[in-house]
Amino acid sequence: MDPEVTIQYQNVHKRFDTPVLSGVDLSVMRGETVSILGTSGTGKSVLLKTTIGLVTPDRGDVKIDGASVYHSTRIQVRDVRRTVRYVFQYAALFDSLNIYDNVAMGLDPEEIRTLNPRVMLDRIANSLENVNLEPRKVLSKLPAELSGGMRKRVGLARAIVGEPRIILYDEPVTGLDPVNAATVNRLIISIAERTKVTSIVVTHDVEGSLEMSHRVALLDNGTLRFVGTPDEFRRSEDPLVMAFADRRAAAKAALGLIEHEADDDDDAESAHAVSIGVRA
Amino acid sequence: MTSILSLPLSLLGGFGRGCMGFARHVGQISLLTVRIVSSVLQGGVSLKMIFAQAYEQGIGSLPLVLVTAVLSGIVTSQQGGYQFSSSIPLYVLGSVVTSSVVLELGPVMTAFVLIGRVGARITAELGTMAVSEQVDALISLGRDPVPYLAAPRVIAGMIVTPILVGVANAVGVLTGLVSARATMGLGPEGFLYGARLYWHSWDLFYSLAKAFVFGFTIPVISVHMGLITHGGAEGVGRNTTTSVVFMIITVLVVDATFPPLFLN
Repeated sequence: MDPEVTIQYQNVHKRFDTPVLSGVDLSVMRGETVSILGTSGTGKSVLLKTTIGLVTPDRGDVKIDGASVYHSTRIQVRDVRRTVRYVFQYAALFDSLNIYDNVAMGLDPEEIRTLNPRVMLDRIANSLENVNLEPRKVLSKLPAELSGGMRKRVGLARAIVGEPRIILYDEPVTGLDPVNAATVNRLIISIAERTKVTSIVVTHDVEGSLEMSHRVALLDNGTLRFVGTPDEFRRSEDPLVMAFADRRAAAKAALGLIEHEADDDDDAESAHAVSIGVRA
Repeated sequence: MTSILSLPLSLLGGFGRGCMGFARHVGQISLLTVRIVSSVLQGGVSLKMIFAQAYEQGIGSLPLVLVTAVLSGIVTSQQGGYQFSSSIPLYVLGSVVTSSVVLELGPVMTAFVLIGRVGARITAELGTMAVSEQVDALISLGRDPVPYLAAPRVIAGMIVTPILVGVANAVGVLTGLVSARATMGLGPEGFLYGARLYWHSWDLFYSLAKAFVFGFTIPVISVHMGLITHGGAEGVGRNTTTSVVFMIITVLVVDATFPPLFLN
């Protein structure tokens, strides 16, 4: 295996009532940011969750730094998980803990036992400052007292406080207004640049993903339909890619395809995709 | 012909699915129990969390346990007194009240209070954590939900329930005594004479052993049902209801198996 490959999905299959992932192969290099796009229900979040064993694939494997997440000992899996942090769609902050304790959960349990409380507070405060939150104002608050955008940023702070080597973002800007969405996207870029962390971002925000990613992948019908650089994505002749890239003239060609898919999936994403075609 | 067979076949199918579901729950609860024991043996359970849960379950439930204990003592005393008003000496009422409260009403009524107050709350709380991905977040942060969420609740239940049952027994017998004096004219000496006449020390052990088993089954079922919740707010509501039904049935089944096992 290429030593630069940090995350490797090998022929990942997952089925719930219907097949969700049907043989996904993808390698993510060290320090790389890869965005995964796709209509709702295509298995983007499921693929992300297979990375750390939150969802177990029916077939295939996921390797992190060459170590299998599914064919290793519990200790090895635990050690692998310690290097990865997951930013959840709705932040998944612990309701009963204040922001200090929530962010502290991002530290390794053994580190918490040995760290000087003053040093721990500094690290937590630093990570909050890195996501543009004022520690003094939020540390003692409960998650319910914060806005959606602030909760997402606390989720980011929790992810970076332990200085992970890999961060997985599950729809980090969903539900945010454009201003907050842009702020979160900028934070993802700055975290990646500053810490050289390897990132996978599952998102519906096409523009944001093209801006922040080294490569973009498009998941469709359980397989990766496109993997390439943002420039290749913009120039692609694939009708679905064109529809995602919002290239109006070119998307005309995709109209039939998108309408057909909207019949199966009447969610907002497909409706949006249809509207792209209609506008064109 | 098809329509004649369809009803019994669908009933049989429903029964089969019910049995499979029951077996799956039993298997999952058994695995959860093994993981709880393992996490306790490895010293991975925080004492602070156990105390917090014990406080919540114990002190929080005490007022309701006291109310049910008082009412149990009064009702048993009144009903017994009514039945003994002719040929049986009234002092036997002391034994009837003591035995009824210690052997049955104290543990079972306390268990029902804990099902409603603690069990339902645990399922709803953990269910909400599960559907809002907080349990996944815990796992992704390298924490095992069993020592963090399950074990403290179950251990606290096993500590607190026998204490609550002990209090309920004492209060139930005391209010039975007061009630017998107030309405039947049976003085404390007569009541206590009757109570001592048929008293076996084993009865108290039996009562507390029952409480210990209830103190394990109520939180373990509620934790299990909470952690397997999916399907948003509807899923939380559905699993909380199912959990309460499971807990009531389990408590009654355990209660029914105790006499043939320990009172013969």
